[in-house]
Amino acid sequence: MNTMKWLLKREYWEHKGGFFWAPVVVSGLLALLTIGSMLFATVAGNKGGFHLDGNNSAINLQQALNDISDPQKIEFAKGLAVGYPAVAMPLMFTLGFVVFFYCLGSLYDERKDRSILFWKSLPVSDRDTVISKALTALVVGPLIAIAFALALSLLVLFCLMVLAAFHGLNLFGLVLGDKNFYLVILQILSLIPIYVLWALPTAGYLLFVSSWAKTKPFLWAVGVPVVGGVILTWVNALAGSPFVLESYWNIIVARGLGSVFPGSWLGQVAETNANINPDNAVSMLLANTYGMLGTANLWIGVVIGLVFLAGAVKMRRYRDEG
Amino acid sequence: MSGVLTAKGLNKRYGKQLAVDHINLAIQPGRIVGLIGPNGSGKTTTLKAALGLIPFEGELKVLGFDPRTQRDELMNEVCFIADVAVLPRWIRVREVIDFVEGVHPKFNRRKAKDYLAKTKLSPDMKVKEMSKGMIVQLHLAIVMSIDAKLLVLDEPTLGLDILYRKQFYQNLLEEYFDENKTIIVTTHQVEEIEHILSDLIFIREGKITLNTSMDEIGERFAEVMVSSDNYAAAKALNPIDERTVFGKTVFLFDGVPRSTLAQFGELKTPGIADLFVATMKGTYA
Repeated sequence: MNTMKWLLKREYWEHKGGFFWAPVVVSGLLALLTIGSMLFATVAGNKGGFHLDGNNSAINLQQALNDISDPQKIEFAKGLAVGYPAVAMPLMFTLGFVVFFYCLGSLYDERKDRSILFWKSLPVSDRDTVISKALTALVVGPLIAIAFALALSLLVLFCLMVLAAFHGLNLFGLVLGDKNFYLVILQILSLIPIYVLWALPTAGYLLFVSSWAKTKPFLWAVGVPVVGGVILTWVNALAGSPFVLESYWNIIVARGLGSVFPGSWLGQVAETNANINPDNAVSMLLANTYGMLGTANLWIGVVIGLVFLAGAVKMRRYRDEG
Repeated sequence: MSGVLTAKGLNKRYGKQLAVDHINLAIQPGRIVGLIGPNGSGKTTTLKAALGLIPFEGELKVLGFDPRTQRDELMNEVCFIADVAVLPRWIRVREVIDFVEGVHPKFNRRKAKDYLAKTKLSPDMKVKEMSKGMIVQLHLAIVMSIDAKLLVLDEPTLGLDILYRKQFYQNLLEEYFDENKTIIVTTHQVEEIEHILSDLIFIREGKITLNTSMDEIGERFAEVMVSSDNYAAAKALNPIDERTVFGKTVFLFDGVPRSTLAQFGELKTPGIADLFVATMKGTYA
């Protein structure tokens, strides 16, 4: 039986707004903004109002680009070839929000509108249902977001290169000839497994609250940890700091609630990577990301996430809907 | 397998309130059972327990499965409508048909299309654009297209007009039902299902007050119109109900031999509605 395929489709139909239309709108805005400002820059640059290097030498863009030396040009192309997906960062941030609210709502909304009584009349187990929701949040959503991110990044990159070419700076050969240009796509896709593992505790926790809360899942999910922190701060102030508050905020609030934001694991990496350059940027990102596999932080999170997911299954199964 | 549904000491408590009070029940295959009771009598709670939707105490087997521990297995054989308008509001007609076809091995797409063709529903319509009656039509079309051993319908026709209700019960009996299937149905419109039922269960305050086959009703219950000179003699036989029609009294008897009653006048088998009213007296008092 391909029940899981249909469960995933079902989630996509219901949440097309968050997983499809949100990236459409954000990519559209980003494209408008970046390509628009490039066009503006060329127009303004042609009029000679372009200021480079901070001195008001009022040279036009054509001259500025012509003045670029070959080594500079190579450096620039190298940077572009590895850095072009950066323009799509806001899409990943959007994904974090979408995943957060999707997890928080999915098992709550079906109880609120009583459609759970329809879903439970079909031969689909509670376990499969919860798994399909976790997969939607951690795999389907990110895959769609990455597809949009890559499409947007390539569009912006090509617009930039075409405009540069119009002004005599041809970067096509250098950028397309750079192996990083292709590798970076694979490398971005390779972040998904780490995202699944890293975001699991947050997604599991939110799904659990969603399956448990009688009303206002957001207040429970976010309010309880935050109020807990405030109370601890208060106790600390009164009783001479028995708690290490910094780790509470870091572990419970930032890690616990924020891990659905892609790349949030990078905040956990020791800052020994000061010398990032185009040649090592991608491998650095991957090393830092896959380095997470060796940390207890990641795996403890995975265990906690799985426990919460199991709890959500039990909740959905045995909760008294009468 | 002895019965489709067997309950022994089935108990369900909400706080201090006993919603279902030690019910014993056995429903055999190939029956259409009407579960009739006033609001809050525990019929929905009993059905929800049988469908594994709520926890309960006591013993309960449905198609040989315990709904508490074997719900997933049970759902392959059971289909139900547990409440009105529970279809998700965002879904489209074609999506819900595709989905059910995808996950339910016993769903017949052609049947569903045939049922839907008799309605005003179109494939692209979303549930939130439908009237309450249309949502019920869609839900019934889905349920009737699933070849389940046990079909449980809790107030399936609420919000439908009389034309569609009649047609639905007709379809249920003629097209859906066969001797391998069992249907349990609750409704307030008892007259409408009277002719399709094979068994009748009355439930009141969490207890079963009547559990009989429709054939037995004719043997057990009799209604007779008594003139005033026979009033005292008839009353002495302990009728369970009396009402006055055109100056005469109509008595309803339970378990009094027909030969004894025949002396008072013409005997009639009471309708479910009359039986219901007679046995539920004082429910809201």
